[in-house]
Amino acid sequence: VTELRFNELRGEQVDYAIHRQERTFLPAREHCPLDPTLPGRPPTEIPFPSFQIAVFDNRFPAFEAPMGAAEVVVYTDSHEGSFATLTPQRAEDLMWVWRHRYLELGAREDVDYVFIFENRGVEVGVTLHHPHGQIYGYPFIPPVPALELAADERLGGCAPCSLLGDELADGRRVVYASASVVAYVPFAARWAYEVHAVMRDHRPSLGECDAGELRQLSVALQTIVRGYDALFERPFPYVMAVHQAPTAGPTEATRAGRRETSSAQQAAGGRGHLHVEFYPPLRTADKLKYLAGSEQGAGTFISDTLPEDSAAILREAISHVA
Amino acid sequence: MGRKRQGPPASVPGHGEGSEQGGRDRPAEEERAGPLAIARHLKDDGRALILYTHAEREPV
Repeated sequence: VTELRFNELRGEQVDYAIHRQERTFLPAREHCPLDPTLPGRPPTEIPFPSFQIAVFDNRFPAFEAPMGAAEVVVYTDSHEGSFATLTPQRAEDLMWVWRHRYLELGAREDVDYVFIFENRGVEVGVTLHHPHGQIYGYPFIPPVPALELAADERLGGCAPCSLLGDELADGRRVVYASASVVAYVPFAARWAYEVHAVMRDHRPSLGECDAGELRQLSVALQTIVRGYDALFERPFPYVMAVHQAPTAGPTEATRAGRRETSSAQQAAGGRGHLHVEFYPPLRTADKLKYLAGSEQGAGTFISDTLPEDSAAILREAISHVA
Repeated sequence: MGRKRQGPPASVPGHGEGSEQGGRDRPAEEERAGPLAIARHLKDDGRALILYTHAEREPV
């Protein structure tokens, strides 16, 4: 059972999911709950001897119907590896899974925002090493997406479109570019190697992307995380956050496809611009950026690196893996 | 509020390959997401499980 409480001082919701205190925490290799269930072995979360991509309701949900959703997305039945080491076809397939979950969860009355994300590495709180991500269906629009909508208002249009134009014009912070996706260390990045991968054309969500765009998105994301791993020649921890249009309000979003989704987003104002943000906590090969006094108590990030400098270093690393 | 669906899809216990492994399936119906075939199951505790399998359609 979860409970939402509104923090008046911060103007934000806090989610109490106290059952999560008992969730599985870094189990031994042979007890991974995301492995397939093999003959003669104890059952796992996926009761099949093999699979490609699996999605299931989180056993320890932060949100659940009728107040949202929490799902686990298992990228592969292989325990080893990471998003970076998936085959290109599997990574592309994952984009279709994300799209499907966005449309299906977003069509629910109790889901106002579909948030697809991955925590990679114990440095960001991973409790299971098997390659996987998660999806939260929030019963409200969370603060970060709300701030992005506010940025639209402030800039008088789509903020990611505007910022992408600025980054392309400047060029110094761009680390990857294809026909459909541009990735850059933002002008005002919070993290040393923060990267935003942004759709070149205005696409509110995965639902508006065609097959080619989904393919190029998967290539961009894998290139970025492979570049991360090459940067310090070690598995690179990160939070990967997929930002899309909110699904609040009356919608017709269904699994039927693109046209229905577009009308759904128009009903919700058509706001939002699909982009994927990476927040890596490493500032050097062996030093973490901690959120301390200024970040937590005052809300202002203090950075030890300039985005232009870290972009040049990351661009070099990506050039070796692209 | 508009015409969004109330809560998750209704669960329909059925039969199929998952039954032998402890899961319960819905009646077979073709459902796809782009190049992926979708198979919906119910775990023994009632939680939903969806398996996505790459299966390009043959040209018609």
